[in-house]
Amino acid sequence: MAAVTGVDSVVKVMDKRGHRDVHSLRQARIGWMFSTPALVFIGLVTIFPIGFSVALSLSNVNVTGNGFALQGFTFSNYSQLIHSSTWRYALVFTVFYTVVTVAVEVVLGTMIALVLERLTKARGMMMALLLLPWSIITVISAELWQYIYEGTYGVLQAIFQSIGLGAPVFLGSPTSAIISMMVADIWKTTPFVAVIVIAGLVMLPSDVYEAASCDGASNWTIFWKITLPLLRPTIAIAVLFRVLQAFGVFDLPFVLTGGGPGTATTSLAILSYKVMFQNIDYGPGAAVAVSATLLVILGCLLFLRVFKTQVGREEVQ
Amino acid sequence: MKKIDSSKKRFSLRRTRTVTLAVATSALVLAACGSTSSSQGTSSQGSSQPAGSATSGNITWWASPIAQVGIRANLISHFEKAYPKIHVTLESAPTNTDTNRSQLVTEISGGSTTPDVFMGDVIWPAQFGAHSLAVPLSKYLPSSYFAKFAPGLVSGASYKGQVYGSPLFEDQGFLYYRKDLLAKAHLPVPKTWQQLESESLTLEKDGYVKYGFVWEGDSYEGLTCDFMEYLTSAGGKVVNSGYTKAELDSPQAIKAVSFMRSLITSGASPQAVTTFQEPQAMAVFDAGNAAFLRNWDYAWANSQTPANSKVVGDVGVAPLPTFAGQSYPGYSNIGGWNLYINPHSKNIAADLTFIKWMSSTEAQMILGKTYSEIPTVESVRQELASSSSTPPPLKVAAETNLVPRPAGTPNYPQLSNAIYTNVNAALSGSMSVSAALKAAQSQAQTALSGGL
Repeated sequence: MAAVTGVDSVVKVMDKRGHRDVHSLRQARIGWMFSTPALVFIGLVTIFPIGFSVALSLSNVNVTGNGFALQGFTFSNYSQLIHSSTWRYALVFTVFYTVVTVAVEVVLGTMIALVLERLTKARGMMMALLLLPWSIITVISAELWQYIYEGTYGVLQAIFQSIGLGAPVFLGSPTSAIISMMVADIWKTTPFVAVIVIAGLVMLPSDVYEAASCDGASNWTIFWKITLPLLRPTIAIAVLFRVLQAFGVFDLPFVLTGGGPGTATTSLAILSYKVMFQNIDYGPGAAVAVSATLLVILGCLLFLRVFKTQVGREEVQ
Repeated sequence: MKKIDSSKKRFSLRRTRTVTLAVATSALVLAACGSTSSSQGTSSQGSSQPAGSATSGNITWWASPIAQVGIRANLISHFEKAYPKIHVTLESAPTNTDTNRSQLVTEISGGSTTPDVFMGDVIWPAQFGAHSLAVPLSKYLPSSYFAKFAPGLVSGASYKGQVYGSPLFEDQGFLYYRKDLLAKAHLPVPKTWQQLESESLTLEKDGYVKYGFVWEGDSYEGLTCDFMEYLTSAGGKVVNSGYTKAELDSPQAIKAVSFMRSLITSGASPQAVTTFQEPQAMAVFDAGNAAFLRNWDYAWANSQTPANSKVVGDVGVAPLPTFAGQSYPGYSNIGGWNLYINPHSKNIAADLTFIKWMSSTEAQMILGKTYSEIPTVESVRQELASSSSTPPPLKVAAETNLVPRPAGTPNYPQLSNAIYTNVNAALSGSMSVSAALKAAQSQAQTALSGGL
């Protein structure tokens, strides 16, 4: 972050004066100097582990009491993945889970944001309430959901029973376990989307709306023709953040289902954890992690490409 | 234009220099990290062989809560009375054995010098031995030390001829039942699985109790334990003796899992057992909501603690049933915990002193008498068996047939994973029994050859 700011300030100075003077050069140097500790830190905690994971995934890894021994280059970890039905299932599940939760969260979040933006009273309080689920640590909220879904004394089961819908065990069958997990996820992260969308809504230019109402456009038309197109860059950012998070989903299934029933809720992250830390198979485990990362990056790049025209147009405006 | 270009160049040069500096700094830091961990490794490797008679030092003991709060602290305080100059710090480990192991593996393979001594599951020796994550105790302790343990325990703690764990306490599956309900309904203690199922249904139907039989059916290690008990009484096996071939698609395995599934479909067990681990099953039973419970030894003490239990005084203990036509009793899976030493420990001599004390008569008596854990030392077991005040599970333990899990391979976690995920899928009805066992078979076969 600090590094980016440093570069930005240099660029700004250049833009304004058209050439670089000694002062701005010195500033640049100071900028880099101040950013170096942060860069080193980022290198240590981010870049080194990522590089190490890639190295692990491409090696024959032997775990001993003295740490890892990387014994030679190999693609076998990846070929193991491709031939493993567990990995293929985890991939399909993770993609499905990501698409459904993010889609629902974006629609719900946008709707909530639209309502909140129009609130004249108690907006601050509503925002605070809205952010509550988002601010609870997932492991803790997952434990709370566990109580709700529990199969013998769970709240939800009691409610279902009292209205004559039987006594379903929500985490006991694949379909209901997946749905239950999605509900918990949507409950938690819809506020995040709503907050981002509200920020976008507030920044929308009012003159366009005035023009539209002068032309006699209905609210419905205004929403579809003005608000939504103008919001697209904001929504794109919300989607991007959410996809990155949802694709790495770990804490919810870890607490709620442990990846079960069977392997129904085993996401790529859960699989990677199991392979690495339960089986002590660091090579294939790292390959699962790297494959997930590559796939999500690829997905996000594709997504950005689709939205690029929109984002670009917005910047010109 | 040109001017800007050249300044850009200068700027980028400077940037290169700065980045190089940053990289160099981080490399230095990394190198420093690397050298610390490697020096730790060599120091523990190079240490001379201590005999386990050290009387001073500090050690950290990593252990999950044993049945009751306070048991670990009690053992430590007795130990510190015997060895006042050795100070033991307790590090509380997760109760979930898989999570527990994951944390340990990460710490030890990362070169951590603590914990010094860790309490680990009986199924860990092969995996920890194969990856040198535990000290081979047989290198330090004489064979006479291991002779005092009850038969089977030391071989279970061994891998490739070395003993890695010193047995601390043993555990096994028991059938807990409600004496009061069986008496009211005039039913005997079930001796076959089928009888257990029908009695459960009778008790539910006549309104004595909400659920019949609760056990551990979640997708986790505990389900493998329960499965082993049905499988063995059906006459089946998981693998051949050489750990080369899985035998999970056998008619015996189908019989076992079909029966487990029928417990749920018939209503003898609540559908929620497919999400139950030990604490959930125990909670339902202790709340008075189930007539029968399959659980470990520690469930006894819990069921007799008024703060946790509504069924104090109403609980009976028996060996597990078997399938009709087989000789009673059925098979109980072996659980329990060993003490292991971290290979990076700085004070292996004191670690050994601690481990030796934990298998002393004094410590084993505390475990058995005060906390109703099954001692691992044969002489203590016999002494307890002859005493009238001995808790019921310890007495029942003398009549049970035991079956271990197939943990003789370092790939046991994958093997067990193949079992519990697929059996759980069959129990929840998302897969047919035969399809689940076919999947289990092929995954187990991959596991045996070291696959994912």
